Amino acid sequence: MYIHNLNPSIKAITVILSVLLLTMVFDPITPFLFLVWIWILTIFVAKVNIKKYLLYFSPFFIFAAGMFWTNIAFANEPINPTEVVSLFGNTIPIEDIQTALSLSHRILTFASLSLLFLLTTNVVHFILSLMQQCKLPPKLAYGILAGYRFLPMIKDELVLIKSAHRVRGINRAKTLKENVHQYKRFIVPLLASSIRKAERTAIAMESKGFTGSRERTFYRQFTVTTKDWLFMIMMLTVLVTLITLAWQIGYFRWYTGEI
Amino acid sequence: MNNWRLKEVIVMAALSVVFGVVYLAFLPLGGILVGFMGPIGYEPIFGIWFIVSIIAAYIIRKPGAAFISETIAATIEVMLGNALGPIIILVGMIQGIGAEAVFAATKWKNYALWVLMLAGMGSAVTSFIWGMFQGGYIAFAPSYILAMFVIRLISGALIAGWLGKAISDALAKTGVLSSFALGKEYKKGKKAA
Repeated sequence: MYIHNLNPSIKAITVILSVLLLTMVFDPITPFLFLVWIWILTIFVAKVNIKKYLLYFSPFFIFAAGMFWTNIAFANEPINPTEVVSLFGNTIPIEDIQTALSLSHRILTFASLSLLFLLTTNVVHFILSLMQQCKLPPKLAYGILAGYRFLPMIKDELVLIKSAHRVRGINRAKTLKENVHQYKRFIVPLLASSIRKAERTAIAMESKGFTGSRERTFYRQFTVTTKDWLFMIMMLTVLVTLITLAWQIGYFRWYTGEI
Repeated sequence: MNNWRLKEVIVMAALSVVFGVVYLAFLPLGGILVGFMGPIGYEPIFGIWFIVSIIAAYIIRKPGAAFISETIAATIEVMLGNALGPIIILVGMIQGIGAEAVFAATKWKNYALWVLMLAGMGSAVTSFIWGMFQGGYIAFAPSYILAMFVIRLISGALIAGWLGKAISDALAKTGVLSSFALGKEYKKGKKAA
């Protein structure tokens, strides 16, 4: 439960920093090793249900495959065009395969990082923590939380609008064109009712004394402790170590030649 | 944030929530297109992901509306479980800055159609620079990159700029925006006519 109890803001910043660092890597091995590390963390430390995890993760294999073949089909001119391998009856420069593999691994690594965050974080706590740790204005933070609470209401509203249209004799859309047209008819009443709801909510909040001032107290307090910093340092150390290792052994690739 | 009324903040949040859901709904569509066409598959529909900044800025007309609304929509996407995770908040900010920069260039005074379309293209530019690095587009052939960029610009201008304005105008006609900048403009227009 260690990862569940971390401060949400620190966790998010760690994920963002890792993604930014990974953006600079163009070899296939470094992102893959980091991916394995995240999988170990997710399954053994955060103890996420494996079946659920695979379900969330599976779409990314499709994205990664799309990335892989595009990179091979539309790759830039290679630096060493003589080094080639044969794949599906075509000769392809090794460099292109490396870049393609690297970018597909990158997609999988990004996905694993964000799932690590999403599956272990309460989203409401995340917003509250952003307000308490990252100076997000309370007006905005509570505005977002109020908006988030509208979601189920918006869903009900959509059902209501659909029924109202049917009662007035508009039939259910059958073709794709009708479907598009139907959503065009839904969006304006849906937005109009959300705007009305939002106005009412704002009046209710103000009448109960909400000023949006930063000098306020919090019912749920979030703090940053040593274990949060330890998590950040641990993640970044692993990534930097992997990059250094790649550098030492000599398979590390930077941007050079890709521009 | 201090010159914003709470009403405007919450309405902006509500808009962001609705479009956060729309953004999420378009992801699988983009995913299918990408699976078949490669990264260029996203480009024709990319403008949809900038639309909330145009709508919010056009309705509320205050500095920051484009930037903040896009950021909130991204945050909502994270809260609902966009698999890209917290990084999408950063992406939302980058997209928002592009549109905001265009509105800033008019000192937040001009909201004509061409400004809105330029704002949509502004988001396209900043998001593309980000995609070059994060998505690794930089590794593609220059002609492929150029094609992606041009399609994204057109999509930003049409889907975000033109469609965003059309939706906002339709909303203003219903009268719900009467206490917001756009609704007030509509009222004035009626009196003059």
